[in-house]
Amino acid sequence: MQLTKEKLIELEEKANSLRHVIVDTVLNAGSGHLGGALSMIDAATLLYYHVMKIDRNDPNWADRDRFVMSKGHAGIGFVSILADIGYIAKEDLKTFNLTGSNLGIHLDANKVPGVDASTGSLGHGLSMALGMALAAKLKKQDYITYCMLGDGECNEGSIWEAAMAIAQYNATNVITLVDRNHAMIDGNTEDVMGLEPFADKWIAFGFHTETVNGHDFEAMNNAIAAALARKDKPSCIILDTVKGAGVEFAAGDYRWHYGAINDELAKTAHESLDRYHQKRLAEMKGA
Amino acid sequence: MGITYTSLDTTKLSTAEIYAKVLCDLAEDDERIVAITADLAKSTKIGAFHERFPERFYNVGIAEQNMFGIAAGMAKCGLIPFTATFAIFNSCRGLDQVHTDICYQNLNVKMLGTHAGTSFGQAGTTHHSTEDIAIMRSMANLTVIVPADGTETANVVKAAIEHEGPMYIRINRGFDQVVYDSMDYDFQIGKAVTLNEGSDLTIIACGSAVFSALQAAREIEAQSGIKARVLDMHTIKPIDADALRKAVHDTRRIITAEDHNVIGGLGGAVAEVIAESGMACAFKRLGLQDKFSPIGYHEDLMSHHGIDTNGIINAVEELLKMDFEEDEDWEDEV
Amino acid sequence: MNKANFYSTRLFLNAVIPVMKEINQEYGYFGNRNCKVQISVDTSEGRLGTHFVVEDGKMNTVLACTDDADVTFHFPNEEHFINFFKGKSTKLPKIKGLGKPGIVVATFRTLLKMSALLGAKEPPKEEAVKALVVKLFFYLLSTGISQLNKLGHEDVVNWTKTSPNRVYGWSVDGYEEAGAYLRVKAGKTKAARGMYTRSQPFFTMRFADLDSALAILLSTGDLLQLTAEKKLIMEGAPEYGAQIGDYMMLVGSYVQ
Repeated sequence: MQLTKEKLIELEEKANSLRHVIVDTVLNAGSGHLGGALSMIDAATLLYYHVMKIDRNDPNWADRDRFVMSKGHAGIGFVSILADIGYIAKEDLKTFNLTGSNLGIHLDANKVPGVDASTGSLGHGLSMALGMALAAKLKKQDYITYCMLGDGECNEGSIWEAAMAIAQYNATNVITLVDRNHAMIDGNTEDVMGLEPFADKWIAFGFHTETVNGHDFEAMNNAIAAALARKDKPSCIILDTVKGAGVEFAAGDYRWHYGAINDELAKTAHESLDRYHQKRLAEMKGA
Repeated sequence: MGITYTSLDTTKLSTAEIYAKVLCDLAEDDERIVAITADLAKSTKIGAFHERFPERFYNVGIAEQNMFGIAAGMAKCGLIPFTATFAIFNSCRGLDQVHTDICYQNLNVKMLGTHAGTSFGQAGTTHHSTEDIAIMRSMANLTVIVPADGTETANVVKAAIEHEGPMYIRINRGFDQVVYDSMDYDFQIGKAVTLNEGSDLTIIACGSAVFSALQAAREIEAQSGIKARVLDMHTIKPIDADALRKAVHDTRRIITAEDHNVIGGLGGAVAEVIAESGMACAFKRLGLQDKFSPIGYHEDLMSHHGIDTNGIINAVEELLKMDFEEDEDWEDEV
Repeated sequence: MNKANFYSTRLFLNAVIPVMKEINQEYGYFGNRNCKVQISVDTSEGRLGTHFVVEDGKMNTVLACTDDADVTFHFPNEEHFINFFKGKSTKLPKIKGLGKPGIVVATFRTLLKMSALLGAKEPPKEEAVKALVVKLFFYLLSTGISQLNKLGHEDVVNWTKTSPNRVYGWSVDGYEEAGAYLRVKAGKTKAARGMYTRSQPFFTMRFADLDSALAILLSTGDLLQLTAEKKLIMEGAPEYGAQIGDYMMLVGSYVQ
């Protein structure tokens, strides 16, 4: 589970390719949830290419680890992984949002292999993840269910219902991750409906809570490993991220929660991602 | 399956108690069945499942949305969750989860909504459920059943296991008047039961109104020789359109009766079939006339809303005065 | 005023004589003629009559007297009229319009055929004629019951005045044009020809074949036996079968 330097670089290479695919998918689709996809792609890469137990040939393998992307609008990011693994065809990405396509803003679990839950209406995913985890306990299966929440999503009361229940059932086989990119549609989270002290809330709900850099594979990996080992209380990992990370014109800007890009902006985005990638590689190799 | 309940059982057990018992019996042989409630184990009687299968029972506290999300997650992993809460909370409080997590994903979750209609009369509108049929039948993939009594409920639970897909089952609080003596009347999802034959008019009812309709039919036949067909339309969706069209053709006068708003429930569903059939008929919907209910005992409220035996009799008399024939020409053809 | 004559006269005029139209349709006695023929009678309530407007040989019935009939068969009193139509008297009516012998003959022939068909002691042999006879009876009986209601006959009115909107039918399997029905609602009645198709009639006296129908209509058969053999089926509300049968016999009592 430890990340070697080689593995670290491998992950960054993978994440970089996926970030580029995200930009292209948004371009083909005309518009998309660019910001939230880029903020969570590093965590998702770590999960799918290092942490999670999956079968690349069988998205429905009964013993697989589950991934509930409760912030369903990040689908445009998630599909890049599904295509890369081979659950969907790479060409299908070009049909994203088009009439008749299986791929649209919020992924349909019944139409897209590898999607464990049809999310999109915020606040549902954590309950479903708990349901999957409880089923595992009852049937004595040892798969883990990872649930990725948005931070704005945590305004929804149903998230806290689920949190309370996860603690009640001590469902340590659910790992809660929050993509804390500090932004939502109408503004920064603290301006619209403040979440701070955020970590304290999760702690109060009975979670072992850590905040880590959501773009640091090593930090995230350590937090996940610790969470998997923890059996006395459930875990919440708050991923401190940058909305639109890697694309300079979008990074940190809540307005890029959802936006349209044309060929020119796409070109700019790709160049920005290249620089971002080089910078990160340099940090990894240097460290 | 060796499950048989008779009307004798239904005089000793409330409808919800029968539901829980049947569920327990079925769960003996099927490990996939689990039960979930939102702090209503006692009120919905699903607590009986807890006693028998403590490790397969989950109480999420007063958190209905969470309950339906959990049920969805469980169903995704091969379990068959039976949720239990009051009908109002099933259809209103938890609706986004019911709609998106359960119906949209087409999951094998069976939802029990108790205290339906005005059966929890004393609790007032906050606990009445007079819109749930309208709401639930508009959810794609969802089967909606309103059994007439405890015995029919037993049949519904059995059928629920055999049916693949989400289901909403709506029952009252407490004991129901007995309509069926035994379970052996060929209950099938989507097939109305003809409880009384006749060709002067048809009374179509669901839930507690079925007993009233049957009583009304018997009384008006005795009083004035009028023969009313009575249909127990337990399955609101998929509705038995064939039986409906036959009733329209044969009797040309239809009354619907339900413990529900006249907008969108059984009456609405029947009206849709009638209108599309292109056949003219006289039609009256009985139920709450788009008003919230006052407080009261259920029997009194049913009378207040015109869905008890007398209310139905009055409606029959009104309907028979209405003329739907196009011509008012009473000259003999020569 | 003789109550029985009162009903007989009017039943003959309004229920029996109109079936001449069906006879003419089958046998074409009126050829392609265009004319008006009338049958009338003087009663204590004045002159009553039924006339036919014939256009290109096709008859249309009007339950009323007309001034400009080409041919009129007129009966100076009710006894004469009733006895003639019951077949008890061969005394002819006064005939106006002898200057149009063709029309007079056509009228006579139609009347004679009607008498032969309705008064038969045995059923006819040919299928087409059997069907016609059944039709004539169903028409005149359904109309007869309706007329008795309109005339205020106590037995019939007691039934119709409290009745909800119901339809009573007569039919023979396979012979839809021979069917007839009666619509009853709150004291009003309407007799109609053919099958009622808008919905299922409340009650239907349904015969499996022409022979069974004729057995009952010509009183040569046994009702119970035919029911047992399922040649006669009381469909819908069987308890009304006897009642309808009674009203049919009531009509019969005035016109036979």
